[in-house]
Amino acid sequence: MRSARLLLAVFAFAATAAAADASTAAGEALFDAQIQPLLAARCASCHGAKLPTSGLSLGSREALLEGGNRGPSIVAGKPAESLLIQAVRQDGDLKMPPGGKLSADEIAALEKWVELGAPWSAKAVSQSSPEASHWSFQPIRRPEPPAPVWPDKVRNAIDRFVQARLAKDKLTPSPEADRATLIRRVSLDLTGLLPTPEDVLAFEQDAAPDAYAKMVERYLASPHYGERWGRHWLDIAHYADSNGYNLDGEREVWRYRDWVIRALNDDKPFDEFVIEQIAGDLLPHPTQDQLIATGFHRNTLINLEGGIDFEQYRVEAVVDRVDTIGQAFLGLTLGCARCHDHKYDPISQKEFYQFYAFYNSIDELDGEDGEAGRQDPFKPLLEFGTPEELAKRDVIRVQLEVLEKEVSDYETELAKSQAEWETGLSKEWIAKLGDEDQFALAVPAEKRNPFQKATIARMHRKDDLGWNERQASIAAVRKRLPDLESTMVMRELPEPRESYIHLGGDFLRHGVTVQPDTLKLLPAMDVEGSHRPTRLDLAKWLMSGSNPLTARVSVNRVWQRYFGLGLVETENDFGTQGSAPSHPELLDWLASEFRDKGWSQKDLHRLILTSHTYRQASLHRDDSTEIDPRNRLLSRQNRLRLEAEAVRDAALSASGLLTAEIGGPSVHPPQPDGASKLGQMQRDWVADTDKERFRRGMYTYFWRSSPHPGLMVFDAPDSTNACTRRPRSNTPLQALTLLNDTAYYEFAQGLAKRVLTEGPAAGPQRLDYAFRLCVARPPDATEREELAGFLAEQLDAFQTKPEAARPIADTPELAAWTAVGRVLLNLDEFITRE
Amino acid sequence: MKKPTLADVTRRHFFSQCGVGLGQAALAGLLSGGSLFGREAAPENPMAPKQPHFPAKAKNIIFLFMAGGPSQLEMFDYKPELARRDGENTPPSFLEGKRFAFMDSFSKETPKLLGPRRTFTQYGKSGKWISDTLPHLGGVVDDLAFVSGIATENFNHAPAKIMVNTGSPRFGRPSIGAWVTYGIGSESENLPGFVVLQSGPRGPRGGALNWGAGFLPTAYQGVPFQSGGDPILNLSNPEGFDHDRQGRTLETLRALNLRRLAETGDPEISTRIASYEMAYRMQSSAPELIDLGGEDPKTLALYGAEPGAKSYANNCLLARRLVERGVRFVQLYHTDWDHHGGPHNLGKPFTDRCREIDQPTAALIRDLKERGMLEDTLVVFGGEFGRTPMGEERESVGRNHHIDAYTMWFAGAGVRPGQTVGRTDDFGFAPVDTEIDIHDIQATILHLLGLDHTRLTFKFQGRNFRLTDVGGKLIEPMLS
Repeated sequence: MRSARLLLAVFAFAATAAAADASTAAGEALFDAQIQPLLAARCASCHGAKLPTSGLSLGSREALLEGGNRGPSIVAGKPAESLLIQAVRQDGDLKMPPGGKLSADEIAALEKWVELGAPWSAKAVSQSSPEASHWSFQPIRRPEPPAPVWPDKVRNAIDRFVQARLAKDKLTPSPEADRATLIRRVSLDLTGLLPTPEDVLAFEQDAAPDAYAKMVERYLASPHYGERWGRHWLDIAHYADSNGYNLDGEREVWRYRDWVIRALNDDKPFDEFVIEQIAGDLLPHPTQDQLIATGFHRNTLINLEGGIDFEQYRVEAVVDRVDTIGQAFLGLTLGCARCHDHKYDPISQKEFYQFYAFYNSIDELDGEDGEAGRQDPFKPLLEFGTPEELAKRDVIRVQLEVLEKEVSDYETELAKSQAEWETGLSKEWIAKLGDEDQFALAVPAEKRNPFQKATIARMHRKDDLGWNERQASIAAVRKRLPDLESTMVMRELPEPRESYIHLGGDFLRHGVTVQPDTLKLLPAMDVEGSHRPTRLDLAKWLMSGSNPLTARVSVNRVWQRYFGLGLVETENDFGTQGSAPSHPELLDWLASEFRDKGWSQKDLHRLILTSHTYRQASLHRDDSTEIDPRNRLLSRQNRLRLEAEAVRDAALSASGLLTAEIGGPSVHPPQPDGASKLGQMQRDWVADTDKERFRRGMYTYFWRSSPHPGLMVFDAPDSTNACTRRPRSNTPLQALTLLNDTAYYEFAQGLAKRVLTEGPAAGPQRLDYAFRLCVARPPDATEREELAGFLAEQLDAFQTKPEAARPIADTPELAAWTAVGRVLLNLDEFITRE
Repeated sequence: MKKPTLADVTRRHFFSQCGVGLGQAALAGLLSGGSLFGREAAPENPMAPKQPHFPAKAKNIIFLFMAGGPSQLEMFDYKPELARRDGENTPPSFLEGKRFAFMDSFSKETPKLLGPRRTFTQYGKSGKWISDTLPHLGGVVDDLAFVSGIATENFNHAPAKIMVNTGSPRFGRPSIGAWVTYGIGSESENLPGFVVLQSGPRGPRGGALNWGAGFLPTAYQGVPFQSGGDPILNLSNPEGFDHDRQGRTLETLRALNLRRLAETGDPEISTRIASYEMAYRMQSSAPELIDLGGEDPKTLALYGAEPGAKSYANNCLLARRLVERGVRFVQLYHTDWDHHGGPHNLGKPFTDRCREIDQPTAALIRDLKERGMLEDTLVVFGGEFGRTPMGEERESVGRNHHIDAYTMWFAGAGVRPGQTVGRTDDFGFAPVDTEIDIHDIQATILHLLGLDHTRLTFKFQGRNFRLTDVGGKLIEPMLS
């Protein structure tokens, strides 16, 4: 009986379905073409599938039919009776969307769609929400490069994609830049240093057809390549030499920085590069290098202020790691889901904490360590020493563990006598306490909150002789620990910490427990066997062939370094609020090239560098400025001001003062007086006087709370969070730095000496030589005349008044050339990659 | 002797050769107007004064930004009912169905109301209630117009600050100072049009983004000055380079940069040229500006300023001196207002903050008024959000961030003083009758400076952006 009824129902359904087929198909097509994008763009921010405003989700047909707090949103087939339609027409009291009325066309489309029964397309139904069909979440395709439009300006597939897009807007590509510009461009882009005049001449005179390719190979093979691209990566890692927060003490993690440089120079495939940094410690039998690599995620801030809860700041560090992964690999603002479901992208708060769970079991300073944690605030560390030193360390550690256990037992005992201790406190003793402590004591014991309880327990211990004695003996043993060099690394706790949703982003408010897992909207993580997923699984998932984001986001960022803007301009947001790619097919083609051919970063560089698109002149053109003012379509190259470190490095290399050593502890070049007194901690900055004074910018000791102003004035990131793109500002303070800063003044002096010792004997060739040292090309007649006039005038002045030259240089000639050097190092062209 | 007009040679060269990039007219303007230092600025100087949209009284603005979220309930928003109900459970009607960000740090127990921790007194003809931590401000209360019950969107410091400063919690939008100087330039040829002064233990969260240019040309970003020692790092020439030699260096540099501009057509080069000229002029004007030694001792005492010190008081006096010199937008940051409880509580730490700002702020109003400068200067005082009517569970008393109803005040040009616009309920949870948000504050500031917030736009990524995004309505009762 029951089955018969069911059968009938099925028949009835089939009949109506057949009749409605045509309109449903039309409705689905309309949905895909207009409705879904409209909902995603104008409605989903408030009425997404999760935590929707007024309880109304526009995430599925069912949700619309059910409606929100005001009842059903649509009546299928009856636009006039549908609240949704009334709201967008804005003819009732409900007016949607709040940001401005939809266009008449959009409203008409919605009406039509409701009239057609408001079908959800099959494609969208398979997705969890309308946002899930967003372009970047779809698999990477392998588009066929379009036919060349200007075959003489096609060097590889990149140009074919770019040309097809240019032609659409009736734009043309620019011709290739001249050789001097090209070699300076490639040298700066790949190594961050200037080409030598000899290299420029050799390249200019090389008539071989593969002259350019050979030149690119030379710079790709340079050990300075790893420094240049390493620095880009360190922006993401937010590497620094101090802990951040107010105290901002020193830390030792430069070996990680050096690992990055080495890995890039070795062209370690990008998947290995990433896996070792995220989970090198979890690889089978990790090498020392693989452990050092895990310093990547240790570039988080550490707060060691007095009286704080270390747990709070450990949580911040874990959140920062998730945020870094989101920005660096997924191009998703995962951090938005820390406190609530993501408003724009299909990422739930639960998923955020599933990600969090991957990083939640690092054996690092946490709340349970309490004050004792200050003894070893940087754990886990990889230490470097002789076998004897390491053995001694291990013995002492065991002793310490025993002693610490004793103290902890003692504290438990001690706590029992706390009430008694409190009653015995004298008024005078209490009066000497700080406000906080007095306040806590004044609160009746049963009404104290956890902070106050901890405060009083701390006071009690400090007042106890036995506790103090035990602390003293621990300190004495600890003093015997050998002083070893170290670097911060990752290590898992034997038992994972429990991970739970932090309600409203507050770690003290426990939501449901979560296990490590990735995002629903992306292909599932492949976990072998049934173990609890680890960071290693996460890393492999990021780099797996089916992950549509990592490859796209990575090639886009590389592209951005070469052209100033990525193909996706919002390089850290590939979500629905990000900008659409200017060349979607090129992006996919590059991503598939990178991913499917072994993840070689050098191959990717080679591909871009040898394209005509890259090799174009950067001169602005009236025609393209009109149509494409921001040059998104790449009818020319872009002139890019050098990054902070490269400004310094270019000046160092022009001056001939560069200490070209790679790696090692960070150094202290001069900086203006008072600069390191700006943070809360007043610090002395003692400038190096030996060769370390002339190291590349990336080796400058980076105090997070008072970074070197020479870096910051040129937009270096503050190393607090991952930085995927630096702004390029242009300010009077930059001018003052290049003109007057001690460092740049010394570079000008160095440049003058170099010109007089290494350059041609005299005459205009000498000026040409100086000019070429700085901008690779010779000056034109106007420039030569201008500079020669200035030189002559300065020389004349210094010869007439030699005492004026004395503070600058030994001879009037050297002083005059120093003056010229200052002009050259301040040229816009000098700090620009043309 | 100075070498004859190399620049002229260069100029001729440009006119004969340049055919790309900048339009001929623009380039000609740049070259002809571009006479060097001490003379008129080039017409393309991005900071050149421009006509506002309509005539306005305010020419300049001083924005006193109290970073961290000062407690309106212990300063300006007097709540006797809240005092009476101190320690009671918060009425559920205030908590239900509302988005209360600050609930985050409460446990599952109902949060307790926290009565004002300060007594209040009525001041002036307007009879405004002001807390006992701000006696000096009480003395100028009739010159101030308070806005109460302001709502903002974000309850974390950095995004909330960025919201007040850029109209959006997302990083990368131009700051209000950048918008204003983009809109009307600056009268000062020797100092940046938008200057930032900082006091307190550290810089404001969000850092330079608070005064950044976003997608506007970078020339409009704020320039931070130090109030003690050298006002700007690297302000002095290297030894051996006197003023004239530096000048000749810059002339040569300018000629070469212009040559490159003609070659490449990249407008960024003209910005760089302007940056160098400004840098050169700042080298003489900034030391003079920062030197408070020439101020009347009475003035110093009025502010509580000491030459050479680094303080909010000095910064207030500097703000007057900057405005005197034609600087369009001066923004002061005074940090450390984040009084949650714990070490940063509403006891002494809060009193200290108030004491630091009370006398200097009042002095600034008095001083501007005495000099007749308040007639064309707008002063705005406020932070990124306010604080909750309930207390926080910490070891000592404090309040959490509250984004629904906080207080700012305006004074000076174009403002109708001696009143409070907007009102909050008996506990200070929410506004009553009025809806005023950050975009309204911004629209009103722009209006007072002669700018229509809907017309001050910049096209970026295919869209016309503005400071007030898609919102902003004038706070009419504020306007005189």
